[in-house]
Amino acid sequence: MPSWSDFEPFIVSGLALGGVYALSGVGLVVLYRATGVLYLAFGAVGAMGALTAWSLGQAGAPGWLTWLVCIAVAAAITLAYGVLFGPALAKRDPLVKAVATIGLTLILYGLMDLLWTTSGGEARSLTLPSDNGGFSVGQIQVNWTQVIALGAGVVLTVGTGLFLRFTKLGTAMRAMANDREITATLGVPVRRVEAAAWLGCGVLAGIAGLLLADLVALDATTLTFLVISSLAAVLIARLRSITITFVAAIVIGLLHDLLTPITSLTNYRDMTPFVLAAAALLVMPRSQVMAQSREEA
Amino acid sequence: MKANILSARRTIVVAAAIAIAAAGCSSSSSSSSSSSSSSSTSSTPASTSTASTSAVSTTQCGTKPGVAATGTPIALGAIATNQPGTSFTDIPNMANAYFACVNANGGINGHPIKLYIATEQTNPAQIAADAKQLVQTDKVVGIIGNTSIIECSVDSSYWQKLGYYIIDSGIAPECYSTPNSAAINMGPRYSSDGAVQYALAQHASKIVFDQSNVPGTGYIAAGPAALAKAGNVPIVQLTENVPISDADSVAIKEVDDAGPNGAVILNFTPPEALVILQAAQKLGLEDHVKLWGCSTPCNTDFLAQSLGAKWNNKLFVNAELTPPDVTNTTTMNLYKAILKQYGSAVSGGIGSFSQFGFAEAEIAVHALETITGAYTVASVNAAFKGVTNFNTGMTCQLWTYGSYPLHIPNNEDYTVTPDNGKMVTAQGCTLISSIDPQIAQYRSAAGTAALAPTS
Repeated sequence: MPSWSDFEPFIVSGLALGGVYALSGVGLVVLYRATGVLYLAFGAVGAMGALTAWSLGQAGAPGWLTWLVCIAVAAAITLAYGVLFGPALAKRDPLVKAVATIGLTLILYGLMDLLWTTSGGEARSLTLPSDNGGFSVGQIQVNWTQVIALGAGVVLTVGTGLFLRFTKLGTAMRAMANDREITATLGVPVRRVEAAAWLGCGVLAGIAGLLLADLVALDATTLTFLVISSLAAVLIARLRSITITFVAAIVIGLLHDLLTPITSLTNYRDMTPFVLAAAALLVMPRSQVMAQSREEA
Repeated sequence: MKANILSARRTIVVAAAIAIAAAGCSSSSSSSSSSSSSSSTSSTPASTSTASTSAVSTTQCGTKPGVAATGTPIALGAIATNQPGTSFTDIPNMANAYFACVNANGGINGHPIKLYIATEQTNPAQIAADAKQLVQTDKVVGIIGNTSIIECSVDSSYWQKLGYYIIDSGIAPECYSTPNSAAINMGPRYSSDGAVQYALAQHASKIVFDQSNVPGTGYIAAGPAALAKAGNVPIVQLTENVPISDADSVAIKEVDDAGPNGAVILNFTPPEALVILQAAQKLGLEDHVKLWGCSTPCNTDFLAQSLGAKWNNKLFVNAELTPPDVTNTTTMNLYKAILKQYGSAVSGGIGSFSQFGFAEAEIAVHALETITGAYTVASVNAAFKGVTNFNTGMTCQLWTYGSYPLHIPNNEDYTVTPDNGKMVTAQGCTLISSIDPQIAQYRSAAGTAALAPTS
């Protein structure tokens, strides 16, 4: 068993990854609560944004512009999907809505493979200026991108919580989560509220794509399927609580990286989100039913 | 109403769980069908090629400059992996470019070469079907340019049964350990040997050898393990699930295990190696070990450009073929000229993959030109097998097929290092050590180490 000092460096990398998983998870929860759609294309649109940003960078565009384009591309694709397909799918079963986003994922994935082929051994990277600076905590080197990743997770979780609670738009989103029809009857412009949710989710997908392209890899496959870790956090939160989503995402990122120095477990660390999500699914239904009963009583 | 909402939520939670499981299996679920393409005669310049060719005419590739071959085509076949994240199609595509050049300049005694390229997605049933299609439907008389993760393992016995002698770029163990396959490259094991050998020569006190967690890692790891053991240097063997989603952790572990006088040797595809090396750089770890090494896939300018100057003389990459950027021979210039004129389908441009394809096509054309009668399976494969001491201009050694139980005809390599965005030679031709028992067995069978080119 490794000593505590062996684990220390992995705390920082785990927290940074957990932070990005958290902001992704928050985006997924907010969109689900507003529209009933579990957006499985979250990773793919982020990847699309990041690869577009890389191409712009290669063409000589300044860094700040490429970052904005990354976010804009992810937001535009997500908003366009929501506006075009959202109304048609609004009354369909949640399973149909989720599967439809897998369709978008596959289209984007194929497009990325076509536009940014890996034939010939191309290796791409998207680095942020924050990689070049940082500080040390004891023996641990921390760079600013890691700090930004964790900070973005915290800020967006808190900010989204406040937004949902204290703004008119947030209140409308919460109302729609309970009942879309009644909310519409009360005069809430549901299409506009849904569009805002899609746009917000797309922006978060772009930010996550940018950070993950730097922290993990600029690769369509990797970025597309990194949504799994966020999805596990969302599942643990039962698609409801952004606070639980945040905590679960941090735990997933942290636990995943802390398993690295343990030789017997290191090759199984990628199972972390699956194991935690499965455990949550097994344990939580009973307590949720009890809570539901109490609510109804 | 609340019950309905709860029900809907439960449904979506179950759906999401299924989606997670499906995504977890995604890397092995590809099943698209194979495709064949006829030889291209496109003269569109390859947009990805930026080679400066020193006034070499592509008409040198054929025996009758400017005279297009119009005879009965000689059908050859190739199978290449082509799936998201892993594509080796540049190799047969470059061979096809070479053949297009030959066809435009006389062909083989007036016969054009037609290369059928089948692609596969690491599906054994599909790969076996590809081989049968090439033989039974396309009627190919020879196989050249195969580059696949598992094709050698799947089809080796089939080729032996039919009497085909394959000229390929090897990955799986059977590409090197069977009588019917001879590769232009060393493959992951011997290339990793070369990288470890270089680190040991630099007096690294410990070796950390890290590679993808895929089938065949034990076979690859055996070579570096033997070299380290012979040098009395401890070796730590690691494997990583790919795609790597936590490069920071991987880099930290490698550096911790190697120590300040140790070496970290990577055997990954360029994108995976890049994320590890960049993670090390971001964490300031590149100077925390004596040196970093890498097997051949890292030998790309893409990687050198992405890494930047911090890795100059810090990363040392095994190179199985002659470095193209700093070589100005007639053959190298012909390769660049053909790539430019005929290589529109070669997406990676100048690099190891297109060099593999060029050299394999050279060998095939050389063999076909020795045939005086009909181009049949028997005559073509006898010609392939009979290639002896052929100078491809791309390797340290002359290339020989021969009647051996195993084939490692390329067992002498270069070492290159990044130099401000380019890969430059750090060490010239060096024989891979016979301490690797497979190399020793080949040299025993082939008589001795193969000769070096005379020009």
